[in-house]
Amino acid sequence: MPHREVLAEPGTRVVMLGNVAIARGALEAGVAYASGYPGTPSSEILEALGEASKKLGGPHVEWSINEKVALESAYGATLSGVPAMATMKHVGMNVAADPLFSLAYTGTPSAIVIVTADDPGMWSSQNEQDNRWYGVHAYIPVVEPSGVQSAREAVIEAFNISRRHGHPVILRTTTRTSHTRGVVEVGEINVEAVRSKGKFKRNIDRYTLVPSHARKLRIELLDRWERIEEDLSRSSLNSIEGDGETLILGVGLGYRYAKEAASLLGVEARIAKLQTPVPLPRTFLHKALEGVDKVLVLEEGDPVVEQMLKAFLHDEGIRVEVHGREDGYIRRWGELGLDNVVEALSRVTGVEASLPKPVSVEASLPPRPPALCPGCPYRGVYPGLRRAVRSSRAEVVYSGDIGCYSLGVLPPFRVQDTIVEMGGSIGLANGMARVAEGQVPVAIIGDSTFFHSGVTGLINAVHNRNPMLVIILDNRTTAMTGHQPHPGVPVDAKGGEAPQVDIEALVRAIGVEHVETVDAFTIRGVEKAVRRAMDYVRREGKPAVLIARGSCILVALSQARKLGIKHPVYRVNPDKCMACTVCYTAFNCPAIFSLEDGKAKINPVLCTGCGVCVEVCPFNAFEPVEEPSEEWILLMRTATPG
Amino acid sequence: MARNIVVAGVGGQGIITTARILAEAALIEGRNVLVAETHGLSQRGGSVVVHVRVGDVEAPLIPPGMGDLLIGLEAIEAARYAGLLAPGASVVMNEDIQPPALPRVKTPSLGELLGALKAAGLRVHSINAVEEAVKLGDARSANTLLLGYATGLGLLEGVAAQESLEEAVARVIRRSRVAVEAYRRGLQLASGH
Repeated sequence: MPHREVLAEPGTRVVMLGNVAIARGALEAGVAYASGYPGTPSSEILEALGEASKKLGGPHVEWSINEKVALESAYGATLSGVPAMATMKHVGMNVAADPLFSLAYTGTPSAIVIVTADDPGMWSSQNEQDNRWYGVHAYIPVVEPSGVQSAREAVIEAFNISRRHGHPVILRTTTRTSHTRGVVEVGEINVEAVRSKGKFKRNIDRYTLVPSHARKLRIELLDRWERIEEDLSRSSLNSIEGDGETLILGVGLGYRYAKEAASLLGVEARIAKLQTPVPLPRTFLHKALEGVDKVLVLEEGDPVVEQMLKAFLHDEGIRVEVHGREDGYIRRWGELGLDNVVEALSRVTGVEASLPKPVSVEASLPPRPPALCPGCPYRGVYPGLRRAVRSSRAEVVYSGDIGCYSLGVLPPFRVQDTIVEMGGSIGLANGMARVAEGQVPVAIIGDSTFFHSGVTGLINAVHNRNPMLVIILDNRTTAMTGHQPHPGVPVDAKGGEAPQVDIEALVRAIGVEHVETVDAFTIRGVEKAVRRAMDYVRREGKPAVLIARGSCILVALSQARKLGIKHPVYRVNPDKCMACTVCYTAFNCPAIFSLEDGKAKINPVLCTGCGVCVEVCPFNAFEPVEEPSEEWILLMRTATPG
Repeated sequence: MARNIVVAGVGGQGIITTARILAEAALIEGRNVLVAETHGLSQRGGSVVVHVRVGDVEAPLIPPGMGDLLIGLEAIEAARYAGLLAPGASVVMNEDIQPPALPRVKTPSLGELLGALKAAGLRVHSINAVEEAVKLGDARSANTLLLGYATGLGLLEGVAAQESLEEAVARVIRRSRVAVEAYRRGLQLASGH
């Protein structure tokens, strides 16, 4: 996605996604280096910076192999004297935690902002972790914008804080800031700064964390932490408005809910906007609490501020009631919502709430979980895999991973027995291989995820002789997060040419003896290749790798439109269709429907022309409306983003 | 004054684009706007809902019972999110049902869904927007056709006027000729009512 609005004229008001506003703020703050690993809801920040960089000639922008390398790269850049930024989703910060903690000890001669995009409600994530704890844990201040409306200023201020103290700053955003579009007035981009280069200045006592240095730096860090806390009490990001006996402490996006709920209820309350939750700015809190006898804390995620506030009140001997997530006034799970906030505020103030009663629609609706797209190269791989497993009579464990292919967890495929974290498929298979008696682990992992953290598990498997079948689903992109490139494709973050790392050669170099690459768009081909690999694993007691390659159909379609290549559409010959249901049950293509009589019909609007249905049908009932072109057949197998 | 519009459908139908057009049009008229989107995993053929809030609003999500218009690109998804609406609110809906990609699920009929929405006290306006859009040459333009239809029925007052919406279609969609034609066709269909 281009996100061209990131370059809007200074002084204009434009509708922007929160993530694009974050990118714009970084450009105005003069960021000269940015790296990240894609992950919802963070990905558009780096995409927008890549787009800007093409036009501005800076900053340097790259997609890293994973979040640890992304943060280390930004770390190296800021130690070389330029303002840097690293972006990731919340769980990515677990991967980047090692350099994160060191960064607080060494500090920076320039500025560095680490963006974590948290996902309360788990719209696209495996957990609901609140990364403000990382700020508390690693002694790194956290800036949390109050929605898309404030994202741009918050980033600029985050860079200012970082520069003033020579210390990293975490910018914490959540789904409803990152993925909400709103009106943003933009300022001037610091073009000279974004193009700037620096110099690494040697400072061995500071940048080499050997124990004798680190002990001194620890004392310095604690001292710096005090100064940062005092500074944040004066920050323009925090403010107090209105008056009343109740204080609503609106943390980040919580501030917007505070404003709207107070106005809906018509209550007089003091509202404090807190956009720097970590460390808790004490002087600011004293001011906010003057003459107040009750506090309602509104924050997305865990009761981070609420707990710190209670400790602060205890230390200061202030007695006020505190309500929020800990006492259940706000539910402990999921996102904030106006209904819940209005109800909580009504309980705190005793003002009756009168929100309209929503309509209730009496209909039994089928669930609609996301599904593999029509034409997805993985749709044919899963039946091929299952057939091979059945015929080999092997008992297997499908060790799954994070990506579009996670959707294989759903019926009819059911080929993900575990999905835990990035790279976990091969990681867990190492342990299963040794103790799960009579079971063969089948690790299923995507191309981008393999580079991210699968390759380390595979090296481990080779060295420790752990028998497993690894299937690398190579769709030539990081699909689920919006088609970013990865080291296996010849494209960089700005859409330019880049060297590509050959997965098959890499796997062979590690020492895997049985390696095969197979066309993902043929079920029988996949089935046979799985059989060969499975036989090898059981015979030799060593790992084998199968690479199933086929481009993400969405990338192929978008390339086809650009190149003027028409994709074919298939149809059902009703005379041949015997209503066996295989195509819309076992194969389960969303473009194929059942008619009243059970016969199949293709929705031509949804059909993407992969043609795998032809192989699926035992009665040869599927046929192309027009013969597919050579160009399309090639594009389906080779298209990459950019 | 605030307008709370729910846009619902199946991932891939252009739901975010529809919401972006509403937002751009509101901005052209100098109004404040917030659009809370669904990205990532759910976009792959899943149920998608986008909250569009125009005017005097602060928070990104529409609380249940405060929605005043639902634009549904698919009937099951329209029914699923109708619970965000206030009694008496309007639904502008594409007469299209996409069965979920799950084997052997029972799909309600269009008649059942329309009946349930009406029985809930909602004002339902439905057309076969995909069929009309295909006639114009691109099924994907069903979304702007529905926007035209909603404009023609007077349901986008307080969001933007026709001229601003047309300009927004051209700004948001690249190669927007068919999309603009679809918008106008939607207007026309509404005037026939």
